[in-house]
Amino acid sequence: MLAEKSAPKTGENTWLWLLKIGSGLLILTILIIHYIVNHFIGEEILLTYDEILRYYSNPIVPIMEGIFLIFVVVHALLGLRSIVLDLRPTRAVLRVINGVFGLVGVVSIVYGIWLLVVIASRGSAG
Amino acid sequence: MGTPIWKITCQVYRQKDGESAHYDEFVMEADPEEYVLDVVERIWAFHDRSLVFRHACHHSTCGACGMRVDGVEKLTCITPIREVTRDGGTIKIDPMRNFPVVSDLVVDMGLFYRRMEEVGHQPVLPVNEAGVIEKSRRPKDRDGQELLRLADCIECGLCISACPIAVTNPNYLGPAVLAGAQQNGLDRDPHLLEMVDNEDGVWRCHSVYECTAVCPSYVEPAWRIMDLRKQVMKARFKRLFQPERK
Amino acid sequence: MGESLRKPTTRAWMQAWFDPRRRDLGTFAFVLNRITALGLTLYLFLHLIMLGNLARGPEAYEQFLTTIEHPVFVFGEYLVVLAGLIHGFNGIRVALTSFGIGVPYQKRIFVAMMVIAAAAGIIFGVRMLTV
Repeated sequence: MLAEKSAPKTGENTWLWLLKIGSGLLILTILIIHYIVNHFIGEEILLTYDEILRYYSNPIVPIMEGIFLIFVVVHALLGLRSIVLDLRPTRAVLRVINGVFGLVGVVSIVYGIWLLVVIASRGSAG
Repeated sequence: MGTPIWKITCQVYRQKDGESAHYDEFVMEADPEEYVLDVVERIWAFHDRSLVFRHACHHSTCGACGMRVDGVEKLTCITPIREVTRDGGTIKIDPMRNFPVVSDLVVDMGLFYRRMEEVGHQPVLPVNEAGVIEKSRRPKDRDGQELLRLADCIECGLCISACPIAVTNPNYLGPAVLAGAQQNGLDRDPHLLEMVDNEDGVWRCHSVYECTAVCPSYVEPAWRIMDLRKQVMKARFKRLFQPERK
Repeated sequence: MGESLRKPTTRAWMQAWFDPRRRDLGTFAFVLNRITALGLTLYLFLHLIMLGNLARGPEAYEQFLTTIEHPVFVFGEYLVVLAGLIHGFNGIRVALTSFGIGVPYQKRIFVAMMVIAAAAGIIFGVRMLTV
């Protein structure tokens, strides 16, 4: 029976997929805001160091950018994982991939949030 | 008088046990209104009796004659010559993709048929349940008897051949199987949930829609996969809030 | 039940995914989405690393800004914008159809989405690539 052969599949399920689609749509909306702020509000096409500090001193901003960061990283890694799944990894390889992607995700998010905190605090201080 | 006879070249995929695959060329005369399957049959009858191919009803009901013509999946009994080539043209005839080749143009459909049975694809449906795609206009039953009709899917396998995901992943259930699961329905058969809610089931689909493009029988497998996703999501949400229910 | 599932050869795989001849629009959408996904992911991690320059202070950041004024970088950024547009708009189509919305028109939705992406791409191109 195919159901027995496949046993408990952890590869992909409703929730992971909903997370991917949901994060994708959320990214689209925040991306527009993120892009407009970074490229259309300042004097030049790119914000200067001081403009960035001023932008991030408003507490709403690091929160929004933080949410943006989390969802982008989640979406990207889930997507990469989907591509890997298309190549039929064995259970063992999939576990390793899950571990590696999980690690990369956590490190990226922690690093990103650290950056946000640094910039935001500089903004309020200076 | 009548339609002119064309001269076409057919490059036919050949593979016998133990040999490597190659193409044999046959120059055939063909009426543009006749079908690719007819030409293949004539190749067999008059040129090479060792050519192996599958065919039965010759009117798109049995699903036996699926092949690839110039790389595109076709049900060859209803594919006229004029649709795939012109006078003096060349066509390449290959077996379907994503199935093991048994001999020449015949592929092993065993696993596929078993999967169709696993998901409980209903070969016969009450007419009332038909027309899933348009708004149902329920026909009246005569004499209180339920009118039945054959299901759309003829299990020809063309959709599986066309699916790019099935190329890299033979474990992927594939459009026909998932469409069969959708048609059966999670309501009727809740144990299907485990079978399709995983990385070899509904979530492996990448919305390519090649399956619907090549289906000769209006099954619309891509739509059914999306509908099956809705059924799966509904079932999962229900379980979240009512974990003890069946 | 030992059936041999035919293992795909690399050639079969490449042909299936990258041969656009006589394949339907959907394959094109799928391949585009995948390529842009990989490009955007690469950009994401580069972007995160480059943002470290902000933490190193204004001098490091200004230095970085002058580096990326080079036309190669500008063009690269334009490609990222294009990739984002294509991936995002096709993603809308995938999200819609996955919830059963607009499935009979999915091809038209794809074309419409790509037209919007192309239009936006031209606007961005003019803004970014002309001095």
